[in-house]
Amino acid sequence: MAWFVFILLAVLTIGGALGVVVTRNVVHAALALLVSLIAVAGVYLVLFAEFLALVQVLIYGGAIIIVLMFAIMLTRSSDYPRITDNKQWPLAAVAALAFLGVLVPSFLINKVEGTEAQNASFTGIGESLFTTWAVPFEIASLVLLVALIGAIIIARSDEEEG
Amino acid sequence: MVDLVYFQLLSAALFVIGLYGVMARRSAVLIVMSIELMLNAVNINLIAAASQMDGTGKFANFDGQLIAIFIITVAAAEVGLALAIILRMFRNKSTVNVDEINLMKW
Amino acid sequence: MEWAWLTPIFSFAAAPAVILFGKYLPGKGAVLSILAIGGGFAVFWFVLDSWLGANTGTSGCFTSENTGLLTCDYERSWFNAGVVGAVGSVSLNWGILIDPLTIAMLGLVTFVALMVQVYSLAYMKGDPRFGWYFAVHSLFAAAMLTLVLADNFLLLYVAWELVGICSYLLIGFWHERPQAREAAKKAFIVTRMGDVGLLIGILLIWRDVGSFSMLDAFEAVRTGAMSEGAATASAILLFLGAMGKSAQVPFHVWLPDAMEGPTPVSALIHAATMVVAGVYLVARTFPLFEAYDADPLMVVSIIGLVTALGAATIALVATDLKRILAYSTISHLGLMMLSLGAFGYTAAIFHMMAHGFSKALLFLGAGSVLHSTESQETGEMGGLRKVMPLTAIVFSIGALSLGGIPIFAGFWSKDEILIAVNDHRNVTFIVLTLVTALLSALYMARAMFLVFWGPLKDQNSHVHDAPPAMALPMALLGVLALGFGLISFNWPGSYGGIGTFVFFGHGESFHFEVWLGVVSIVMAVAAFVGAYKVYVDRSISLEGVRSRNSGFLKIVENKYYFDEVYQWTIDRVVLVFSRFIAYFDRAIVNDILVNGPADVTRKFGIMIRVHVTGHVYSYTLAMALGSVGLGIFVWLRVA
Repeated sequence: MAWFVFILLAVLTIGGALGVVVTRNVVHAALALLVSLIAVAGVYLVLFAEFLALVQVLIYGGAIIIVLMFAIMLTRSSDYPRITDNKQWPLAAVAALAFLGVLVPSFLINKVEGTEAQNASFTGIGESLFTTWAVPFEIASLVLLVALIGAIIIARSDEEEG
Repeated sequence: MVDLVYFQLLSAALFVIGLYGVMARRSAVLIVMSIELMLNAVNINLIAAASQMDGTGKFANFDGQLIAIFIITVAAAEVGLALAIILRMFRNKSTVNVDEINLMKW
Repeated sequence: MEWAWLTPIFSFAAAPAVILFGKYLPGKGAVLSILAIGGGFAVFWFVLDSWLGANTGTSGCFTSENTGLLTCDYERSWFNAGVVGAVGSVSLNWGILIDPLTIAMLGLVTFVALMVQVYSLAYMKGDPRFGWYFAVHSLFAAAMLTLVLADNFLLLYVAWELVGICSYLLIGFWHERPQAREAAKKAFIVTRMGDVGLLIGILLIWRDVGSFSMLDAFEAVRTGAMSEGAATASAILLFLGAMGKSAQVPFHVWLPDAMEGPTPVSALIHAATMVVAGVYLVARTFPLFEAYDADPLMVVSIIGLVTALGAATIALVATDLKRILAYSTISHLGLMMLSLGAFGYTAAIFHMMAHGFSKALLFLGAGSVLHSTESQETGEMGGLRKVMPLTAIVFSIGALSLGGIPIFAGFWSKDEILIAVNDHRNVTFIVLTLVTALLSALYMARAMFLVFWGPLKDQNSHVHDAPPAMALPMALLGVLALGFGLISFNWPGSYGGIGTFVFFGHGESFHFEVWLGVVSIVMAVAAFVGAYKVYVDRSISLEGVRSRNSGFLKIVENKYYFDEVYQWTIDRVVLVFSRFIAYFDRAIVNDILVNGPADVTRKFGIMIRVHVTGHVYSYTLAMALGSVGLGIFVWLRVA
């Protein structure tokens, strides 16, 4: 049963990913990305990481995709249909396949004996987050603040300066 | 029960697809999407690693999930910034094609 | 006597002073220059007096085992590299060497230089570069005196080159004339070619002896530390330098052209002082020449004889007055070398001095003629004794002296040479030397009669005699040319003739070979009488002789085609070779070897530059490929 679910989710993930990198329409790419990310949330569920699945759906699906949509909308230019691939896409494919060729054998060779997955309690994560990982937590919030301010400054239009 | 290695293979495939997208796509927005794919692939790997148990039936270590939380956080921040830059770029050159951004050379 | 170094110092100081401050000094610096050389002349008398009063007990003096003379040597160290005296160390010193040879040279140089500088006051008057002329004169006198005083080869070489530079500057003094420029270049280059031999010879000596000091070299030769091969080789090489400076065949071609310079310059440099530097060198380094079998001396005497005879023949047919005198100088230099080669050391030095006074006198007389008539061709002169009697008298004194008429100084010195050649060389030598003597009398008489006797041409009727500044030096030199022969005699008291003052090995008091003396007197008188009949009386005509030997005459008139051969060699050999070398340097060394790597690097850089596209995606691709490479690398290490 778990296998079947996993295979389904894997197909969705990979399919969505392929959609992002292949399609000619930017909006379709964004939607494919959404499918992929939701499928990844499903994968987290299979791994009994419910909190992460929650976070994934909320943030990626709820915020990042929206922001991407806004960006697509604001940066439309008039050439349509457009060419969405670079001059070097064959080379990119070769490089990517080479990368895969290095990664996969290394995973297969260093095979670790897997065990049964288990439910991770929310309290456990919360405790860990605010004790062991407290400093990174604070820093992460700082990162968010800085990114926010930076984004505002960068994207602000020029007439407002001075 | 699905073996760890399959999750790792899934993560590898997703990462490679994301890598291809970064290298081969023309629009900056598409490149940002591909970066998201890569980050997610890494997250899958980490969480799969974090799901392993030690011999006593408890979690060996679920730090992987926490790291994944931070990765998601940083990814969100980064997307915000990247898109601000893309907006600025669009304002200057009225295009987001990376083909036409080639000032970083001699 | 250790103050002898002052002799050149006055003139060394005068030269830059005249250049810098000449405008403000009286006589535009000429007076300063004359005072300097006059000071040198005064110092010479002190040195002579001091040497005569010295003996082996005086500090720095000893009887040299090489020359047998009382020699005084004073040295000051200047620069040492390495431990002094160790093998391979270099010690450079200032030093002066005083022996009779030096004293003779000092007297000759200072006196003639003084006379010529006084003469130049009038001769060069009105010249725009008057001050510069005297400055270079001072520098020359200083350099020549240093050359004569030097006790080590390096100082000698420096002074040698300095003298060459001054000669170049003075020959090309009127550098607006292209012939003067060419002549100056020619003089410098030809003497430089000889100087190569000199330098190699000095270095050879240094390598064998370990120091530049002349006395050390002579010791090494005497004790056998320097092998026969080394001594012979260095002697021949030094002689090459002497050949260049003293205009021996085949290096003689520069001297006739050097007549482009002002006549006082010709008198000083190319008659009395610089050209005898070569003779001085051979005399000074005589121990090297006569060591072992004295093979170098045979070379010296042969070259001297060839030079003497060849130049005499050319002088006989030349028509330019200064050229006649120039070839006469070359011929007499050849005689001096011949004398040295025939072990006639005293005779050579004596003739050097007598010839110096007489030839300087002749040149100054010629200068007086040129100053007035403004032409140098003897064909345009004649009968000038009617309008310039003083010049005629002094010129005749000089001519008679060099022609070998008795009483005059030239006769005694030439006689000594004949005695030496007769004593030490085989019959061919003496016969040819006598022929040379006859020829020298002939051409001197010819010059004298052509210029001063015969009918006076109309264009020369305005000609005036020399002004006092020119007349006085000529008169003084005339006295010397007349009376210098007296020092060769034995006088009452302890003076036994010049043979006991300047000698090599052992002194000889004056002696006279009757048959040689009679032969030479007869020849000289016959030559003068014959020349009179040909050129003044016109009672003997040379037409028959000319037409019968017209081929040989043509060769001699063209100076045996030496200049043409040299020019051909330069054009066809030297310039071709240098063009090839220039091409090689430009095309291969510069373009390929020097620019080549730079070009290759640049092109390689341009090739590589392609990868910097400016696009981020290509950098990403590179990163991905790099990571793949790293991964494989780690695999290979782990596996």
